[in-house]
Amino acid sequence: MSEFSLAGWRLERRIEQSRFSRPIGLAVALVGAILVCSVLFVSAGANPLTAFATLAKGSFGSLRVTGETLVKATPLIFTGLAACVAFRARLWNIGAEGQVFAGAMFAFWMQHNLGGYPALVQIPIVVAGGIAGGALYAGLAAVLKTRFSVDEVISTVMLNYIIVYVLSMLLLRGPWSEAGGFFEQSARIDRGAVLPIVLAGTRLHAGFLLAIVAAVLVYFLLKRTPLGYEIKAAGSNLRALDVQGTNTRRLILVVFLVSGALAGLAGVTEVYGVQYRLKAGAIAGYGYSGIIVAILGQLHPAGVVVAAILFGALLNGAILMQITTGVPSALIYAVQAILLLFFLAGWAACNFRLRRIADA
Amino acid sequence: MTPNETPRLSVRHLTKRFGPLVANDDISLDVMPGELHCLLGENGAGKSTLSSCLYGLYRPDGGEIWVDGRPVHLNSPSDAIAAGMGMVHQHFVLVPSFTVMENIAVGAGSGWRLDYAGVLDRIRSICDAYAIELDPSQPIGELSVGEQQWVEIVKVLYMGARLLILDEPTAVLTPDESKKLFTVIERLLADGISVLLISHKMAEVMRSDAVSVLRKGRLVGTVRTADTTRDELTSMMVGRRVSAPVRVDGEAAGQERMLAVRDLVRLRDTRRVLDGISFDVAKGEILGLAGVSGNGQDELFECLCGLVAPDEGSVTLADKPLHGLSVAEVAAEGVGYVPSDRFRDGLVADLTVSENLVLGQHWQGRWRRGPFLDRGALDANARRAIETYSIAAGGPDSACRKLSGGNAQKVILAREFTKASKLLLCNQPTRGLDVGAIEFVHRELVRKRDEGCAVLLASEELEDLFALCNRIGVMFRGRLLAILDARSATHEEVGRLMAGQESAGAA
Repeated sequence: MSEFSLAGWRLERRIEQSRFSRPIGLAVALVGAILVCSVLFVSAGANPLTAFATLAKGSFGSLRVTGETLVKATPLIFTGLAACVAFRARLWNIGAEGQVFAGAMFAFWMQHNLGGYPALVQIPIVVAGGIAGGALYAGLAAVLKTRFSVDEVISTVMLNYIIVYVLSMLLLRGPWSEAGGFFEQSARIDRGAVLPIVLAGTRLHAGFLLAIVAAVLVYFLLKRTPLGYEIKAAGSNLRALDVQGTNTRRLILVVFLVSGALAGLAGVTEVYGVQYRLKAGAIAGYGYSGIIVAILGQLHPAGVVVAAILFGALLNGAILMQITTGVPSALIYAVQAILLLFFLAGWAACNFRLRRIADA
Repeated sequence: MTPNETPRLSVRHLTKRFGPLVANDDISLDVMPGELHCLLGENGAGKSTLSSCLYGLYRPDGGEIWVDGRPVHLNSPSDAIAAGMGMVHQHFVLVPSFTVMENIAVGAGSGWRLDYAGVLDRIRSICDAYAIELDPSQPIGELSVGEQQWVEIVKVLYMGARLLILDEPTAVLTPDESKKLFTVIERLLADGISVLLISHKMAEVMRSDAVSVLRKGRLVGTVRTADTTRDELTSMMVGRRVSAPVRVDGEAAGQERMLAVRDLVRLRDTRRVLDGISFDVAKGEILGLAGVSGNGQDELFECLCGLVAPDEGSVTLADKPLHGLSVAEVAAEGVGYVPSDRFRDGLVADLTVSENLVLGQHWQGRWRRGPFLDRGALDANARRAIETYSIAAGGPDSACRKLSGGNAQKVILAREFTKASKLLLCNQPTRGLDVGAIEFVHRELVRKRDEGCAVLLASEELEDLFALCNRIGVMFRGRLLAILDARSATHEEVGRLMAGQESAGAA
């Protein structure tokens, strides 16, 4: 039932949303999130105003930190887009995490013996490797789903675990471990494979531009192409697509390939743009954060970019906040979760309205 | 009825709004004890909203509801039940794994302990009193749809209802079962129980004592059935005169065979849902398929359109075998398919009208410009369809989920009729549509037939079949019992076959 009443007031579903209900709902959600975060900061022993000020200063206060914010946002844009493409089709690819690993590993596998070749050779190979690795690993889940009816939520989560151990095996006294090294990581990658810095005075690398290009491409893919049409249709009624003659098995495979390819690029930009080494710590966590970014961005490519930059800013600003106010930077994950919950509640609330009911 | 008798149910100035939409506008009507009162109206006229208000599912924004001379406030179905009203929905709310008795007891909510013996006694006495045949110990899952409806009715009576609301009860029944339903209704009325019947079917409406006609949320009027005629009621409902369906015979169906189906078998877990079906459809012929839903019609259509492969048998279209072709390949042969469940199989509700009109063809060159969909071509196509099929939609960009059943069906017809150059498969194309939309579907089917297309039309409405078809086949439990000539066959003959009784004459 879509109605609920209490003490003379009734909550009912809106038939039509007004043009302003959404922005107002979001503004209320933002204020609510800030209030709850303030309580969190106070309990951590800091003045919330200073905490927010240092967060802002630490993320956008100078050219250098702004660049750093965008660096942190880059992998989140890719994984957010990955989730966006799959979720629009109601395919629950929770495996971006594993696909980030697969992309980084496939790129590394293709590139690590090419030391000395010019950047013009190495970088395209690295990018292609990331796309191929992520796509293939996601494709595995798609084949399990379409051929053997394995639920994609289960298979992608399981595949996430598997690949972490495979990487660990390869890096810990395996073929890829650094000669004579002690840590679980590869040797430093060849200079010719490093993604170039695009903004002097920062660490902002070409991967960020690639992420923006990817967002634009995904936008046109979803909005304008027959494939985007199928994705939208699949998200609403896969059965009707089937009955009307679309090969939905192939569609599911294609969606997973695109989603995985995007996630794979996150692995490439982190390894070749930031860390210059292949190691689990460099690429872990982005897949899961990407899901939150995609949902915050309302499964829209532009929204994903904005949400990713917001998350990048929070991660980046938290460092300064910890130094200045003593609020532990780990608290920023709680802030992210609070933001998500408030925004979700805000959107849900937009679909309802309160009305005073005539005395019964 | 004496004028000073207290009405069983009295609705006074009831108004219900959904946002800007007024679903019920100042509706007043009385239902007397022992009266069969019919609620008549097209889809979206406000019948369901009104019955939901009466059953406590919606709270009206204005007006009053009186039961037996006392005002009642219905906040939930339990209030309505307490007030003595019971409702049988179109979609039953029964637990399949429970027995008949358990289902009735669950609804009655008899406290901590179930007094099975007492429950059983009361169910038996209700069944006896109204001559309802029901075995209380049988699980619901084993009952036919018609029998499940008996359970719902007994459940409502068990809870002590003095007013029964029946929402299109005969939609799921064979003609024989419907007849039985009306016998039971008559006994209920004789006992002083009132029945509010929601129906489209004129034959049923004419059996009632009084009819209230709704149009666009307003009450057009309440009339004594004895003082009115079918035509009068129809024009009250539609707001204009509607020509009754007349048989339109084209030139005798061509002899040229278009579709040939031979010994089609489809298994589901060793059960034969299609059991040796064979028939031909000629060019320019409409072959009707009568039968209650669930007797293999859906499976037959899904085999013919290429969605599932038959386990045995063959299908040929213009002497070309369709075996092993995908849905897209079958469609490319010139086959259009109007599925029975339009919002599940025929449309994507979140897509717009113009997008739905190219569903399944969206990769074709004519809808594309380079890698992109050609929105201009899509919109032009949609404007043409909206014009030709008079689809009441805001425009090419309005979402299909906002369309009424009839207009959603028109979108599907527009798409499939264009596709169907050789064969048109229509499964229940008029289900749930109002008189105006049905009239439209009939006209379009005839037009398609006259273009030389072969048409296979399955319908539960015998009126559809007798008005349109050259021949009528009857499906029962996956078999095609007989194919009759529509001009010489009678409703009774077809009705008997629908219930599975093969008459001596038919082969």
